[in-house]
Amino acid sequence: MYFQLGWRNIWRNPRRTLVIMTAVIIGVWSMIFLGALMRGIADQMVRNGIATLTGHIQVHHKGYRNDPAIENSMAEPQAVETALNKLLPPGAQWTSRVRVNAIASNARHSSGVTLVGINPHREGKISFIGQAITQGRYLKPDDKYGIVVGKALVDKFETKLGRKLVLMSQDTGREIASRAFRIVGIFRAEKEATEKQFAFVTMPVAQQMLKLRKSISEVSIILPVNQEADQVATALRTALPSSDYEVQSWQELLPLVTAVLKMYDGFIFLWFLVVFIAMGFGIVNTTLMAVFERMREFGLLKALGMKPWWIIREVLTESFFLLILAMVIGNSLGFLSVFALSGTGIDLSSLAAGLEFVGMSRVIYPIIQGKDVIMANVVVFILGLLVSMYPAVKASKFTPVEAMAHT
Amino acid sequence: MNIVECTDVKKTYRLGKVAVRALRGVSLFIKRGGFVALAGPSGSGKTTMLNVIGGLDSADSGSVMVDGNALDEMTQSQLANLRLHKVGFVFQAYNLIPVLSALENVEFVMLLQGVPVTERQKRAKAILDDVGLEGKYNRRPAELSGGQQQRVAVARSIVSNPSIVLADEPTANLDSKTGKGLLEMMKEMNEKRKVTFIFSTHDHMVMDYARRLIHIRDGLVVDDQVKEK
Amino acid sequence: MSIDLKMAWRNIWRNSRRSILTILAIAFASLLLVFMLSWQFGSYDAMINSAVKIHTGHVQVQAKGYKNKRSIRLVVPDPAEVGDILEKTPGVAAYSFRTNAFSLVSSKERTYGAIVIGIDPVREAKVSTLEKLVHQGNYLSAGDTDQALLGKLLAKNLLVGLGDELVVLGQGRDGSIAATMVKVKGIFSSGQDEFDRSTIHIPLKYFQDVYTMYEAVHEVVVLVKSLEYVPEIKRTVAAGIENTNKKGHLVALDWMELMPGLIQAIQMDLVSGFIFYIILIVVVAFSILNTFLMTIFERTREFGVLMALGTTPGRLTKLLLIESTTMTMVGIVIGIIGGSLITWYFQEHGIVISGASELMRQYGLAERMFPQLSVLSVVIGSGAVLVITLLTALYPALRVRRLRPVEAMMSV
Repeated sequence: MYFQLGWRNIWRNPRRTLVIMTAVIIGVWSMIFLGALMRGIADQMVRNGIATLTGHIQVHHKGYRNDPAIENSMAEPQAVETALNKLLPPGAQWTSRVRVNAIASNARHSSGVTLVGINPHREGKISFIGQAITQGRYLKPDDKYGIVVGKALVDKFETKLGRKLVLMSQDTGREIASRAFRIVGIFRAEKEATEKQFAFVTMPVAQQMLKLRKSISEVSIILPVNQEADQVATALRTALPSSDYEVQSWQELLPLVTAVLKMYDGFIFLWFLVVFIAMGFGIVNTTLMAVFERMREFGLLKALGMKPWWIIREVLTESFFLLILAMVIGNSLGFLSVFALSGTGIDLSSLAAGLEFVGMSRVIYPIIQGKDVIMANVVVFILGLLVSMYPAVKASKFTPVEAMAHT
Repeated sequence: MNIVECTDVKKTYRLGKVAVRALRGVSLFIKRGGFVALAGPSGSGKTTMLNVIGGLDSADSGSVMVDGNALDEMTQSQLANLRLHKVGFVFQAYNLIPVLSALENVEFVMLLQGVPVTERQKRAKAILDDVGLEGKYNRRPAELSGGQQQRVAVARSIVSNPSIVLADEPTANLDSKTGKGLLEMMKEMNEKRKVTFIFSTHDHMVMDYARRLIHIRDGLVVDDQVKEK
Repeated sequence: MSIDLKMAWRNIWRNSRRSILTILAIAFASLLLVFMLSWQFGSYDAMINSAVKIHTGHVQVQAKGYKNKRSIRLVVPDPAEVGDILEKTPGVAAYSFRTNAFSLVSSKERTYGAIVIGIDPVREAKVSTLEKLVHQGNYLSAGDTDQALLGKLLAKNLLVGLGDELVVLGQGRDGSIAATMVKVKGIFSSGQDEFDRSTIHIPLKYFQDVYTMYEAVHEVVVLVKSLEYVPEIKRTVAAGIENTNKKGHLVALDWMELMPGLIQAIQMDLVSGFIFYIILIVVVAFSILNTFLMTIFERTREFGVLMALGTTPGRLTKLLLIESTTMTMVGIVIGIIGGSLITWYFQEHGIVISGASELMRQYGLAERMFPQLSVLSVVIGSGAVLVITLLTALYPALRVRRLRPVEAMMSV
């Protein structure tokens, strides 16, 4: 009965109802859609960060993060391997690397790079490099002199596939070790900085060049589920002696990305609030109008013996319908626009330099996160009913006499 | 010499699903300077007749001439202009703009006509004095009695020297004493300013004031008598 | 006050509760926009300023192609000549010369690749913040030779402190080996990890000797008095270069060309900001549309009377528009005043976004941010609110033209 009454009442002035519903619909749509865009940007950042040789978890020799020098290598990778085999959840992948600062040079140029010695097969399944080769080929396990470098580095060095590149770095004996490689593959990456930074060779070659023997710099782990990183990291920390090893999750490894995520969280919530306030004024005003127009009616109901609380409930029921209907439509539109963009994404390649500056990807794919949708709807629904209390209470206070006198 | 010439005017309203034939062929000729009452019970068509003469409403068929203008050939904007310069209106109630004072309500019409402000105020005050409202210039409608409100309405309708004032049951919301006072005042204005007054009523006291009394029933003129004093 | 305005004003206060809510909605939107735009503009200024003062200057003269290749051979052979042009260019605040070379830098323990930058200590202090960034030891002085300023992270990686010796090994301009030994005189920290990890500054003269540069430099760095002079000065300098015998070899570049990422990032931020703002204003517009619409429904009878008096439909539209404009203007003025006060407060005291300082440092922003109130930040936001609100008001104002007097009079 209440619901029927409320439903019919909101359609007494369909234009007015439609106008305020439009405000709520646009508001909810913007919450869902813009929220999804921001989540999409953040998600790409995280993926990118993780794919760019980070992984979900990394294991290093103690002190490596603070001072990534060759002394801080792990001399007994078997110990780590044993722990990994025991503790990693099924589906997890891992690889080990040698990773040192080095200097690349050819006849005309030289520049600082990160020399990465990899296990080509395992690495391909874990980081971006497996799918990033655009010219030449990927490393083979027995490549003695092959090196894979980024397109931007190749351009800067005015060189090309098949040309020589000399890499220099400090070996374990503090001597400068150098070795000439031949460029067998060129990779592209999301960021130009990545293309300039990394030079890949096979791990045995790197170990030999740097006199590392079996030592490795890091172990990088990819988990089947992103969220498990903390748990697994904690388990690894207990298994590996903290005097020798440090274990970090991607949140610790990518502090800037983590900070961006946190900022986005705050920003999304603020946006929800701001949009709500903007439509809150409209909800209050429209409900007030509807209530004052029906002053006589409420007076009559009161004269008939209706209790104030019933009138409040009646007004709130109307707001309830209005909000629910607008939320359903707003959510649907939000989901639809996200869905429409999920295939192609929003391509911002023309702003590549700017994107690199702020660490964004070239194509944004909006991603709907359950918690945002819930928060958006809860904010609109709860606050919407809350602000409707004002007109509702107002209506409940009309006395029959003054209400009947009102025309 | 006729200020109003209506020939075979017909008008049908749709009220929901029902068609109401408000005017079923009225012909009416009213001389300049007249003080004419349209009498009849409610629903007889007298209000419609007034609206048609004032260009507020258009006839379905027949012709209406007001002061030499054929209304059925005029646009909304031209009709507004005609009302502004040639026709004054007084309604049963809610005549005045609530946010304007008595003086401003009277001034408003002259404002629309583009009368300069000093002259506007002078004339408005003079006419308010004429209708017996001296000293109440700055009262808002809500602060005036019903009779006073109607006096402001009459003042407003004649201030711009229209050819004709149309009054739709001007006394219906007033007690008989106030009503009489208003009619006396209207008659005085009619004689002093030579303005044609046409008013509708179903009140015999009001009919007595008219110099010509036209009875309308069911959308037709049933009786038309000129009274000489 | 004209009668139209008077009517509008009184009509607004006939239903004060509703009008106040409407005005507040408009004020809220303009307040937010004034503050947010001031914030954005303030942060852009800070970003540009810090980037310009740490990295590039406003305008640079370089050899053509140097920007991308960074080759030691691409030089400005006669910097004094460029200096003469700059001396004569109005609006130039200061200029300096720099040289760059990628080299191996070794301490006793470690070896890293780094960019060795030759600076003129006196001139550099006027164009960049380097001097202020030195937080350990001292900045270089005019007569220094084998002294170096080291980035904080590079110092950490090399395990060196003040007074320690470093071996620098690179390739000279003529292809010869360039090798020398320098002492750490100061350690600087810009907060930007990339810069602090990969640069070492030595006196320009010393650099030129070691790398066989002779008189040549790589960059002539110009700081201008105000950002808006940049295009003009760039043009003047470019024209000046044309008159030297090195024309066609040298180019003048502004900060936007030197750091395309920065300007694009700012544009992106602006555009995305505007998307948010427009959506916000549209939501506000629909929120208040009902107020404007209600006016015509409630006052239909009154409009009937006005029309009977001879008011033309156009005049009614005008009356309604005056009413909504007045309401909008009141809201906007309140919003501007409130927004300016809030902005002004934070402009004095700054805003700290907790937990984001690390992130902001990388963009050259201090932990404490200062919004910057400007004519632009006030006008853009309130202008957008005004336009969209008035477009909203147009609908009911035009609808009133469809009213016919008799129907209007019959409605209660």
